[in-house]
Amino acid sequence: MTAVATATLPERRTPPRPARSPSRRRRRLLGVLTVVIAAIWAFPVYWMVNSSLLPYNRIRNPDPTFFPLGGTVGAYGRVLEGNFLSSMRISMMVTLITVGAALLFAFLAALALSRFRFRGRKSFVVTVLIIQMIPAEGLFISQFKLLEGWKLLNSVLGLSLLYIAAVVPFTIWMLRGFVAGVPRDLEEAALVDGCSRTQAFFRITLPLLAPGLVASGVYAFLQAWNEFTLALVVMTRPENMTLPLWLRTFTDANRVSDWAGIMAGSVLIAVPVMVFFLLVQHRMASGLVSGAVKG
Amino acid sequence: MTRARMLGTALAATALLLAACGDEDGATEDTAEGTAEDTAGEAQAPEPAEIRLWLNGGDTPDSMREWLVDAFEEQNPGSTLAIEEQQWEGLVDRLTTSLGSTSETPDVVEVGNTQAPTFTTVGAFSDITDMLPDIGGDDLLPGFVEAGSVDGSTYAVPLYAGSAYVFYRTDLFEASELDVPTTMAEFVEAAVTLKEDNADVENFSGFWLPGQDWRDGAAFLWDAGGDFAVEENGEWVGALSRPESQEGLKLVQKLFTEASGAPRDGNESEPHVPFCAGEVAMMLRPGWVRWSIDNEEIGCPEMMENVGVFALPGSDGTPAPVLLGGSNVAISAASPNQELAKNLLELILSDDFQRQYAENGLTPAKLSLADGLGDDEYAAATVEAVSNAKLTPAAASWAVVEGSRVLEDLFVAIAGGGDVQQLAEAADAAITEQLR
Amino acid sequence: MTVSQRAAPPVRRRPLLPYVLLVPALAVLLAALGYPLFRQAVMSFQEYGLAQQFGQAPEWVGFDNYARLVTDSYLWTVLARSIAFCLTAAATTMALGTALAVLMTAVSRGPRLTLQIALLLAWAMPHLASLTVWQWLFESQYGVVNWLLTGVGFDQFTGHSWLLNPLSFFVVAGIVVVWMSVPFVAFAVYAGLSQVPAELYEAAALDGASGRQRFRMITVPLVKPVLLIVGLLQIIWDLKVFTQIFVLQDAGGITRDTNLIGTYIYRLGLGEGQFGLAAAASWFILLITVGLSLYYVRILIRDEEEL
Repeated sequence: MTAVATATLPERRTPPRPARSPSRRRRRLLGVLTVVIAAIWAFPVYWMVNSSLLPYNRIRNPDPTFFPLGGTVGAYGRVLEGNFLSSMRISMMVTLITVGAALLFAFLAALALSRFRFRGRKSFVVTVLIIQMIPAEGLFISQFKLLEGWKLLNSVLGLSLLYIAAVVPFTIWMLRGFVAGVPRDLEEAALVDGCSRTQAFFRITLPLLAPGLVASGVYAFLQAWNEFTLALVVMTRPENMTLPLWLRTFTDANRVSDWAGIMAGSVLIAVPVMVFFLLVQHRMASGLVSGAVKG
Repeated sequence: MTRARMLGTALAATALLLAACGDEDGATEDTAEGTAEDTAGEAQAPEPAEIRLWLNGGDTPDSMREWLVDAFEEQNPGSTLAIEEQQWEGLVDRLTTSLGSTSETPDVVEVGNTQAPTFTTVGAFSDITDMLPDIGGDDLLPGFVEAGSVDGSTYAVPLYAGSAYVFYRTDLFEASELDVPTTMAEFVEAAVTLKEDNADVENFSGFWLPGQDWRDGAAFLWDAGGDFAVEENGEWVGALSRPESQEGLKLVQKLFTEASGAPRDGNESEPHVPFCAGEVAMMLRPGWVRWSIDNEEIGCPEMMENVGVFALPGSDGTPAPVLLGGSNVAISAASPNQELAKNLLELILSDDFQRQYAENGLTPAKLSLADGLGDDEYAAATVEAVSNAKLTPAAASWAVVEGSRVLEDLFVAIAGGGDVQQLAEAADAAITEQLR
Repeated sequence: MTVSQRAAPPVRRRPLLPYVLLVPALAVLLAALGYPLFRQAVMSFQEYGLAQQFGQAPEWVGFDNYARLVTDSYLWTVLARSIAFCLTAAATTMALGTALAVLMTAVSRGPRLTLQIALLLAWAMPHLASLTVWQWLFESQYGVVNWLLTGVGFDQFTGHSWLLNPLSFFVVAGIVVVWMSVPFVAFAVYAGLSQVPAELYEAAALDGASGRQRFRMITVPLVKPVLLIVGLLQIIWDLKVFTQIFVLQDAGGITRDTNLIGTYIYRLGLGEGQFGLAAAASWFILLITVGLSLYYVRILIRDEEEL
């Protein structure tokens, strides 16, 4: 009963998190360690930002430049002149369609798989798993033919379809794990409390699933946002470039690549991902336990 | 893969080109121009359409693109020309899919001369044999026409060519009291001396040769009379372990160990970086490297006053055979606008357009226009380098050899001081297998 | 309150509903993958190259493509190498990712968000940029890593090539792969940990369970499905790893000693337009992957029974 009472009042902050409650000092030490790890992990990212502010001959130099002193934001201006906005628009559309459709479809499927027993369930689960294992490198040629037949080349919808299919197996598996992780007792308790099945779902199950949905959503977002090969063969017209294609226009394998431009473009590409993440990140811990977190 | 655009067939452009360069032949030019105009006038005006042209990388400058669009749209009223720049990386994937699609194919495409045979043999390009007389005929760079032809029909024609020559530091030559070498032996000696004289500079190269760079190493192999593979009784077999090739490869090893300070397993991109760091006395590079050195953001313009160039000398004093690079241009067989595409191809091979390649330091598609390169030392080096340039073996599946990177591996192993005979035998076995 | 209660088998009376729920996912998979997979299966029995891509009729060759693959002794070397690399990288990724996830639950909001943002930045960095930067960091002459090592007195690293020795090559490749994959694992496991309702812990605490016991009896079983899935996916992805190896091979090292399945198949088939061979290779890899993950699949299916 306690459980249901808490669940229906998600705004109530339940007391600390669980497993182990480290002493204050230990917690602070761990905090320092966490920040150090974060710094190490982000170093290549820092190097990208650093490089985006430097001229070519300081990026590519025997003496590394660790701080962009005397740097310039010229590269940002340079890359913004081209097709950035139109590519951003295309990438945005493709990504949002992919994330939305993949999460919805996968969620429905995950629900079916972990809440119902029906014939063909196991084979479906295994099939989806095996689809994950198929090496995708060789498929793009056939996928091109497929979209050509449907007149979906150079279209947002066509590329989105391929992306959805690419991430749906994964999201099904992922969400299935999360749906399975929602203790059924809670739902049952809610039913006993007089909630309808739908109510129980929206009040209990969905909030508990939020972390899983966010993790899968971030994954789907990044897959669609950064994919290169399929976009390369499907979106052949310059006005239909996605951001990764746009980024490649600053490379020149035979001559001199515009490194500052590539790095500046990469920074610009990473910004919307960060915005998306910051918008959803608090959901990642907001099942029934988010209150645990201090500060 | 990306740098694998050199190659085609072993037909040497050589003597022909030299002869043509010497010709002061105004008449040929006039005829060519006249023909182009005639055809444009005669042709029944095809249905106006948007023509898409794919050009790769930065070899064709913006001014030339603008010129081409203006000229095409003027000659073909109602039609438009869209030039879409492609990157070399991923190009083959994109061509493989797009060229087969009627709705999405570009109309005219540029391909690397190594890639041309891949697509000509499979029917991806339109047969343009009957156009040849109008667009230059025998005046076109023969090696490239050969690379674009199958069974007597031509599907792709040259767009431009380029070969590497030696960039060197005049100040370091002076300090070591060296003259510009005129034979291969002098060259090697100079390279070793320069390295010895500048031993205090870290990573210093008398001659800069990164381990993976078999494309430039090829010059030494060929100069010694060797080759990567030869045809025997209709079968291609690896030839790296033969005596002549061995002599060439041993010279390469000497250069690696005694003259080069480049990474033993590095590639040849970004040569201007060590050059501007003052670590290079000589390097064998394509002409555009001049512009990256002479660029404030990329290179070190202040060093330009100490930069000189010469064509790599061969053992007999004539230019050594360096690898010939460049591009072909072709019409997509799936294009619904064949007539307009042909008009565009004529324009691309017109003297007016091709002359602009020469002005930009690339060897134009026509032998007769080579003197348009100018008469400074860069032009002289370009002409000389191309005069004896050579293509990789003409075997049908040579692309497999390049794709497997067996040659990169071989050269890295040689750079590491391995046994040249043993390494070459292993490489030969692999190459023979791949060319079967 | 014990966790095993959740395994009580549900009884459902609406047999149609689950099928309806599966329709959208099935439809999109069938639409986007059905035909391409079928075509790939057909192609694997054909001599299918560029010429066929441009319209020539393909020739049936039976199992020739497969035979060519299986009889190539180098393939088996590459395969063994790939499996070793895959298992090492996947294990490292899982260990690090799980450790970071647990760490996130143990620290306050500031450090946690810092780490999350750092991980996400690494994950979000376009591959072109991240692979370029890693290549620069490990360059032999101008790399920051060697510059730092030399700076603190390790002179033997002046001009040291990290890619020339195959083992060292794979260490670098492993670092790059792990760096890229840990964020996903950390986020997924952290999400799994946050999903555990606090009430379970409270109830357990009331029952007198110690912290360690609660972790073992509540956290582990509830996070297990996520760990299993993420672990399996890591194995699948690390076996297919391609771009990182391809890019590093271009930068240095000896290709023949550093090929993994992905690059080998690419160079063998796709690079030269031998699509039939590449298709056969794809199916072949699929078979190997299934075999390799059989243990995992068994556990998953067994869990399936329990649900």
